[in-house]
Amino acid sequence: MITRLRPLLLAVLAAIVLGACTPSGSPNTSPASLAPAFPLTLTDAAGRSVTIPSDPLRIVSLAPSNTEIVCALDACDRLVGVTDFDDYPAEVADIPKVVIAAQVDLEKVVAAEPDLVLAAGNELTPSSVIDDLAELGLPVLVLYPSTLEEVYQEIHLVGAAIGARDAAETVVADMLERADAVARAVAGAPAPRVFYEVGVFAGTIYTAGEDSFLASLVAAAGGEPITGDPLSTSISLEQLIAADPQLILLGDAAYDPSITPAAVALRPGWHVMSAVRDGSIRIMLDDPVITRPGPRIVAGLEALARAIHPDLFDPI
Amino acid sequence: MRAESVVTPVAAARPLVLGPSLTRTGVVLGFGAVLGVAAMAAAVTAGSVGIDLGDTAGILGRRLLGLPLPVTWPASSETIIVDLRLPRVLTAMLVGGGLAIAGTVFQGLLRNPLADPYIIGTAAGASLGATLGIVAPLIVPALAVGAGTAWLGIGVVQLLAFVGGLGTVLLVYAIARGGGRVPVVTLLLTGYAVSAVLAAGVALLMFFSGRVLGAIFGWLMGSLAGASWSQLAFAAPLVGIGFVLLLVRWRRLNVLLLGDAQAAHLGVDVEREKLILTALASLTTSAAVAISGTIGFVGLVVPHVLRLATGPDHRLLLPASALYGASLLTLADLGARLAGGIPVGIVTALLGAPFFLWLLRRSRSVRAGLS
Repeated sequence: MITRLRPLLLAVLAAIVLGACTPSGSPNTSPASLAPAFPLTLTDAAGRSVTIPSDPLRIVSLAPSNTEIVCALDACDRLVGVTDFDDYPAEVADIPKVVIAAQVDLEKVVAAEPDLVLAAGNELTPSSVIDDLAELGLPVLVLYPSTLEEVYQEIHLVGAAIGARDAAETVVADMLERADAVARAVAGAPAPRVFYEVGVFAGTIYTAGEDSFLASLVAAAGGEPITGDPLSTSISLEQLIAADPQLILLGDAAYDPSITPAAVALRPGWHVMSAVRDGSIRIMLDDPVITRPGPRIVAGLEALARAIHPDLFDPI
Repeated sequence: MRAESVVTPVAAARPLVLGPSLTRTGVVLGFGAVLGVAAMAAAVTAGSVGIDLGDTAGILGRRLLGLPLPVTWPASSETIIVDLRLPRVLTAMLVGGGLAIAGTVFQGLLRNPLADPYIIGTAAGASLGATLGIVAPLIVPALAVGAGTAWLGIGVVQLLAFVGGLGTVLLVYAIARGGGRVPVVTLLLTGYAVSAVLAAGVALLMFFSGRVLGAIFGWLMGSLAGASWSQLAFAAPLVGIGFVLLLVRWRRLNVLLLGDAQAAHLGVDVEREKLILTALASLTTSAAVAISGTIGFVGLVVPHVLRLATGPDHRLLLPASALYGASLLTLADLGARLAGGIPVGIVTALLGAPFFLWLLRRSRSVRAGLS
């Protein structure tokens, strides 16, 4: 009786053991060599639980920062779809574009037959599009880091998702080292009040929003960020004058050569600010790196620190 | 003295019961049906990803008709045809047809050539609802993506748009009502004023919308990019009910064209009829708008064009409007998709308005056609 049931019992036992093993996910559950890495269930930045059935070989990235993370993990050749805004690294130029003029083309995403889609959170990828893609049965991982710490976490997350945990460790270790160097350099130095200009549209001034990534980056670079409304990220000229920036950084100058320190000094009402009186207005050509939460964000941090504390760093 | 007779100077001159001839009815509806099928076929076949014509036919045959055809296409093609294009095309037909029939009813009911489905507040109310739905996750993170935001198979944005559209019309109607009567002019002006307040609310939310501004903008322009089977399943019964119940009231609509006083003389309970027609047309509009955003021009132009072609008899005008509205929006959405996914509202205005102008200059009788 028992012997006849043994194969069945073994099968049940095996199923229980396997069942207990499969939903791994946190990197510390078991040594990578013993537990199969896939299928893998991860929690993304939107708090969604995402199951990735096998090591993804066809990845679609819906944001330039996601593309940069994948490529930093030596998986650029697995990308089968990117955005028309992608410009780094150079080899992504040849990858089919599935996001054109900020519009996700669902047909093109599906036609790329991805086994992993990396979306961006906070409506950079519209939430309706994320829902649509998930409904079509595609594993969609939403990435949205809002601090430097979360950039590291998300690089680890992508590393786990595409079976490149070791590469993620290396990338993050390098980033940590560079960020630490910045922190050591600016430690103890007085933090000037910094106004980072994201843009001025129809007279409305946009800057780093309260508690935004950009504001935290300015703080990490040794500045005291002057922030705008947390939702609209705008600040009124009155508030800006009252905040009295000691340093103005022109992020929009990276895209518009007509925005110069001289032009800013001539704006009506701006002459009363300390930064304008002292001539502390700098253009930030590194804006694309500063505002893109990918592996190069530490380069943005370094650029900010150099702009805020030029005396603490060797000239490039 | 009689305001209505000023608005419709030729009303009494038109024969009331004599509709279009049977042949004309056949030609108009027959051509509309052919156009509709052709538009559908074109819209399912073409898209941003090229899929072989044979494959498309095979996929439709297998999935819709259950034919045992050999699978010669990648699974992704099947997903694109069945889960992306087909619901989108059917949504375009439903929304286009719904807006056109609602536009016909409002133009007839309000005896106003500028009337469209949105005229007494549907658009402003739906826009405010949708904008609230889009902005809400910024303030209440629990409403954000993937947090189980679907009720009745649709998202919070669609639901709020539907409720906002229908609710606004009911509010406008209640405000405009005085002494048991709802004068047409009062209804129009009330709708205008309420819409202005709600539009200010939309603008306020847009200013604080940050990263979702693009989503709000796309919704206000009108887009079918979010079309899905579940949204279709929500809107189709509502539009369908509205359509059928409007269709059976064609005779009363014809009588109302004569003006409130005349219609009352002919035994129609004018106020009751106005309320029912407004409610049904608004139900149809709100359900359509909920899944598409505020797509302009279809509901204004299609009824006018058909009135020129068929005359004012609603027995033919209502079904023909639905048919041609459906075809027009399907073709416009195809154009929008092929133009890189621009909002379809841009296409309907960009192509519809010049066509309408041309027709206006050619006929010079659009206003008379309303009577």
